[in-house]
Formats: sequence, C-alpha cells, structure tokens
Amino acid sequence: MNPSNPSNPSNPSSSLHPAGLRVENLTVRLPLANGSVVHAASEVSLAVPRGAVTALVGESGCGKSILASAVMDQLPAGARRSGTITVTTPQGPIDVFSGAPFRGRHAALVPQSAATHLTPVRTARAQLDETITSLGSTRTSDELAVRVGLVPAALDCYPHELSGGMAQRVAVAGALVGDPSVIVADEPTASLDRALTDRILALLRECADDGAAVLLITHDLASLVRTGVADHVAVMYASRLMETGPAVEVFDDPWHDYTRDLLGALPARGMHPLPGLPPQLTDLPDDCVYHLRRPETRQSGGPTVLVQVGERSYRTLRDAPREEVA
Amino acid sequence: MSLDARGIVAGYRRKPPVLTDVSISVPAGEIVGLSGPSGTGKTTLARVLALLDAPRAGSVSIDDQVATGTRFAVQRELRGSVAMLFQSPRASTDPRLSLSSIIAQPAEVAGRPVDVEGVAARVGLTPDLLTRRPYQVSDGQLQRACLARALTQEPRYLICDEATAMLDAATTATLVRLVEAEAAAQGVGVLLISHDEELLAACCSRVSALADLRGTHAPA
Amino acid sequence: MARRHLVVAGSVLAVVVLYAVLVPLLAGVDDRVTDFAQARQAPSAEHLFGTDSAGRDLFVRIASGIRTSLLVALLCALLATVIGVVVGVAAGFWGGWPDRLVMRTTDAVNALPHLLLGIVIVAMFRGSLLAIVLSIALTHWTQVARIVRSEILSLRQRPFVDAAVLAGASRRQVAVRHLVPATAPQALIAVVLLLPHAVWHESTLSFLGFGLPPHEPSLGTLLEEARSSLLLGGWWTLVFPAAVLVVVTLAVAFAGQALRKVVTPPQPSELRL
Repeated sequence: MNPSNPSNPSNPSSSLHPAGLRVENLTVRLPLANGSVVHAASEVSLAVPRGAVTALVGESGCGKSILASAVMDQLPAGARRSGTITVTTPQGPIDVFSGAPFRGRHAALVPQSAATHLTPVRTARAQLDETITSLGSTRTSDELAVRVGLVPAALDCYPHELSGGMAQRVAVAGALVGDPSVIVADEPTASLDRALTDRILALLRECADDGAAVLLITHDLASLVRTGVADHVAVMYASRLMETGPAVEVFDDPWHDYTRDLLGALPARGMHPLPGLPPQLTDLPDDCVYHLRRPETRQSGGPTVLVQVGERSYRTLRDAPREEVA
Repeated sequence: MSLDARGIVAGYRRKPPVLTDVSISVPAGEIVGLSGPSGTGKTTLARVLALLDAPRAGSVSIDDQVATGTRFAVQRELRGSVAMLFQSPRASTDPRLSLSSIIAQPAEVAGRPVDVEGVAARVGLTPDLLTRRPYQVSDGQLQRACLARALTQEPRYLICDEATAMLDAATTATLVRLVEAEAAAQGVGVLLISHDEELLAACCSRVSALADLRGTHAPA
Repeated sequence: MARRHLVVAGSVLAVVVLYAVLVPLLAGVDDRVTDFAQARQAPSAEHLFGTDSAGRDLFVRIASGIRTSLLVALLCALLATVIGVVVGVAAGFWGGWPDRLVMRTTDAVNALPHLLLGIVIVAMFRGSLLAIVLSIALTHWTQVARIVRSEILSLRQRPFVDAAVLAGASRRQVAVRHLVPATAPQALIAVVLLLPHAVWHESTLSFLGFGLPPHEPSLGTLLEEARSSLLLGGWWTLVFPAAVLVVVTLAVAFAGQALRKVVTPPQPSELRL
C-alpha cells in the first residue's frame, strides 16, 4: 500500500458527502498566568461531512474539548490560534473566526452536563422558547421536544427537576432550534448510565441522518465501539491527531499504536492499561510525544507527519521508511 | 471471611425505602460486581455496607462480627475495615490539603507510619504531583490519589461506587487493574459498583444486578 | 481586581493607622492639655483640625481617638468571631438538640435590639473597657455563628468527610482537620467585616455616654463632644471625626470583601481540554 501525499487534511468521501465543517491546520496555544503555555491543539485538520457522525476521541485532557470551543469561536480570552475553521451553509462557507453570526443558525453546541448549562430559575420551555425567538425560528418547543424523545409536558419542569438524560435531551433540542448544518456535541454522555448514553447517541445519529454534520467529542470509546454510532473517527493524543478513518475500519484494524492501546484498554478487549499518565499539555515539545508513553513505538520520537492512505490517515515518523500497514 | 449485608431496608429520609430486603456478600480476596441503572439504590447499599448510614432494618457484619453502630459509633475493632472510592474524586478530597496529606490521612488517624511516596508509586503518581493540591491535578490523577488513600487505610474490604464513571477508558483500565492487583496481594474483598456491564464482566468473579438481590437471605 | 481593591483599601487603612500611631508621638502638642484660651478655634496652620471646647488640638485628639476605637473594635471583633466559630462548628457538626438549642439562643439574641442590650451590659459594669468589649462581642457573635454553621452543614455531607470517617477518624479529628480550617476564610472575613460594626457600636455607646469616659478620646466621645460645639458653630469638631469614621468603615468593608475573594481556595481550572 503506497502512501499518497503526506500531511493532507483528512477528507473522507468528499464526493459523497459535502463537508459541513472543515477544520484546517488548527493550532491553539493558551498562555497561562505563570508564563507557561498550554498546547491545546497542534495542526489539527478534520473534515466533518454532512449526514454522518464523526467522533473525536482521546483521553481526558488531550485537547479535544478545545476543538468544540474553537468551532463555536468561544476560545478563552488570550488564546493564540492559527488555521481556519469553515462551516458550509446553504449560502456558502462561513469562516467561524470572521465574526459573521453563525452560532445556533449554522453550528450549534450540545454541552457536557446540560443541567448546569440551563438557568436554574426558569423552566426548560422558557429557555427553549427564548432560543427560538432569538434565532427567529419557526419551530415550536413542543415539536422539538417530540423530536428529541421528550414528552412535551417535561419541558415545564425546572432544570433541577429533570433527570440527567432528560436535561441532556433538552440541550439537544436547544441545539436543533436553528436547524444547524453542524452540531458539535462535547462529551454529551458524561455521567449518564449506559441506557441513557445509548439513547443520546441514537438521537445524535438521527440528527446526522436528517442531514446535519455531527462532531461527537468524547472519551467514551467503549460506547462508540458498542453502539457503532460513529461513521468516522479521529483519534487525538496530546493536541495532535494520531489516526483518522472510517470507524469500523479503525476499530477493527488500528494503524497507529496509540489507537491500538486505547482499544486494548476497553473491558471487552482485555482491559490492558496504558503505562504511565496522559501527558500534560503545558509546554509540550514541537513533536509528537507518544514515544514517551510507549518507548517501543516506531511512529513517534522525532518529526512526524499524518500520512494519508485512501480514506484513512495515520501519524508516523517523517523520515521513517514506509512500511506495510496491513 | 466476608462483608455481609442481610435484609437491608434503607432509603432517604421521609421517602419510601429504595432498598427493600436486600442481601449481598463480598468474600475476602474476591471482586464482586453490582450493576443496575442510576437511582435504584446502589449507592445507598454501598453506604450501608461501609457503615456510613444506618439501615431502617437488617444488619451488616464484617468477618462474622455484627456491626452495632455507624459513622462515629462504629465499634473499635471494626473501624477502618471498609474503605470506599467515590464517584467524584473532587468531592471526596479536601481542597485545602495537598495530595500527600490526603493520602497519608488514614495512617495519621490510626497512628501508623506511612511511606506516602511508596504508596503513590504503586498507583502511578510521581512524587512531583504529591505536593500539589486537588485543583492542580486532573480527575484521573485525583482518583489515583484516592485509591492510594484507601490503600493506606489497609482495609479488609474496598467498595468502589461508580469510581470510574467520570474517567476515560484508559484511566479506568489502569485504576481497575490496580484495584485487582492490590486485592490479590492483600486479600482485600472488593465490591465494584458500575453501570458498565462490560467492565464488571472483565474483572469480577461474579456480578449481581441490584434488582436480583431483593428477598435473598443467603449470599447471592 | 479583588487584589487591587485590597491594595487600595489596605493603603487607606495603613494611612489611618499611621496617622493614629505617629501623630500623638510626633506632635509637639499634647491632646490632653486643656487651654481654654484656645477653645473652639477653627482649623488653622497651628491646629490643622481646629480645637474643641476645652482647647485641645483636634488633629492629635482624633488620632488618639482612632487608636482607641480601632483597638476596642479589634478586640470585640476577635472575641465575637471566636465565640461565633466555636458555637457555629459545634452546632453544625453535632446537629440534633444541641444545634436546635443554639439556634434558638441565636434567634433570641438577634431579636433584641443590639444597642439596648449593649447598654444594659455596660450599665451593669459601669463603663469599664471589659464591659464595652463584652457588650459588643456578645451582641455580634450570632452572625458569625450562622455563617459558620451553614458552611459546616454543607461540608458535613461532602464525601471527603465520609472518607475521613471511614478511615476511623473521631468527631474531634474531623472537626479539627477538615471543618474548622474550612471556616478559616469566613472567620477571617467575619473579623474584618465586624470591625466597622464594632467601631460604630462603641462610638454610639460613647456618644450616648455609656461608653468610655469623656477624657478618653474615642471617635464616639469626640462625636459626643461635637454635639455641644455644633450649636456654637464649630463644624470642624463634627466633620473631622465623622469623616474619619466613614473612611475607616468604608476601607474596612472594601478590604473585607476583597479578602473574601482572595482567600477562597481556587476552583479546579476551568480550562477544559
């Protein structure tokens, strides 16, 4: 299998599904008060096609959640960024950093722990209606409730009266108000048990089937493998992408050692722990640091590139001889 | 030698009991799993077993000795025999203390010397993390510190109440393997509570669903 | 932002304290010396704040007044806070009937007008410093006790208390190791915020004649003296002591609020990666 041009932004099946969201060479640096710099993202390129669920997975603290903030143009104050993020709308592409309004209308966020993102002193319906009014949408809150699988009467509860799963569904309803072409879900199933997790993931699947480009950011690899909800997957380690490709192929036959390690840690696959601790993103060196976790790897330990092979890509040493990956 | 609960009736004050006549047994040196959806009483059972809350009916015995009191009234011989890992590592650590103080606390209470760096190394915490306070470390690192604290306590039984629910798969694997290793090495009986059935199947010698424990009078 | 407030308020207080300490030491004029020939002089180069009805220089007298007022206030605030913390921790931690007893007592003390109660206590001991300190402390500990108790109540439920209990800690060990240190920030702030109350309370008692004797200058006695001078046109006898009282109260209040922000332990980093 011969590699095509290196460092091509991942672009799966662009002919079948036009990209709803395209992240190109995004680098985010967050200076801290004590002078150190957090490397939240390093040259991340990702295409999230419409009509499909693209999952971004990695351990906690690897930088994936900063992507949600970046896509919504809500990076913390003082963040330094380079690269572009484009949302494709019926009226044409919008650069999210350009200042043009797009939140809610073209790209919406489903946050983690929805209950804490809702105002506690107003009912869910009141907050949903407020979103509807401010976006000028023609949808009604009852209609949205039904779409996310809630009984409309549930909207009259206050956030503390809603269970975790119900609150999360209210959050998805809020995201759907403007019929956005891009939905970013940032750890939407954290602290939910398995039944609720499956339901929320199924709901996101329905949103994708209705045409949205869904970016699902999660550390819950077990649920992704179990439910098969993702069409594409991108694996992130210490602010860099390690591997991307169609989910079924990557889970079956991972090409990067880290992906293999992550899958090996799943209970269903033997629960093999990774050595050491996940790296801190503070003052990371310029190259991939995976070899510090797994010294025997041959895909890290010097300058690396993301090598594209068909629909899949994987990171390896730039100067290493290309080997058979089958 | 086991941690037993018999005929437990328990629940929140002024509400109908969420546990009605529940019995469970955790043998020493084994890892027993308890599964079930959230809100059905798994945490209530865990707290009763740990002698943190008194049940409305039923009894708890540790190694055939019936517990006569809870919290500060636990009889002297049984104090410190059950340790617990909680779901939220942040809520289960005092934000004012350093990780080193947190880990050393059970030994200080018991008046025993402790090698904090040694215990920390067993759970994979490097010495530079020990001087930090909880807000300066991640959830995964903090939960490891909580496990180190539990190990310092030298308990006979360890209850993990959804201790990995907030952690990613890699950290979960590490933590569970550590618990397994310590259980095998020290003969500690472990009750692993989780809604992740695959996790329970991968490491428990037997798994019970909470619903199945009602009305049983012998160890399930 | 909070640090800036703290610095500004702290500087103001520092200036006031320096004034209170240095001026009586350095001034060539003694504030006790009465000189009726100089009585009721308006502010001038010789007497910066003018003189009072007995001819005493007000610039120096106010300095002594501040010193007395602040010292008394500090003693009262400390005593009230100590009582409040002990009572609050005990009530919050033990619960049950001791808690209920304490809360009813607190309610009873709160129901009585502070000033009247203060006057009663002082009248019983006839104007001694101890009486004044007690009268203020015994009427102001309740707000500290309430704050501390509610903090303890919420901390009691936290899993880290459970973890200590599981390790075999006794009630005393949990209270000393975890609960009392947790209330330290609130206690510190309570001391700082009680200071203006205490200054005001002492000034009022002295103004009404129940506090310190008139020859012991405090801001209160100075204000009391100003009553008579005002009718004769001596605005300076009121304005300067009152201005100092206001400035000190404001500075302490700002400092207390800023201190609260600075002293609360930080939350885990909001940076989600």
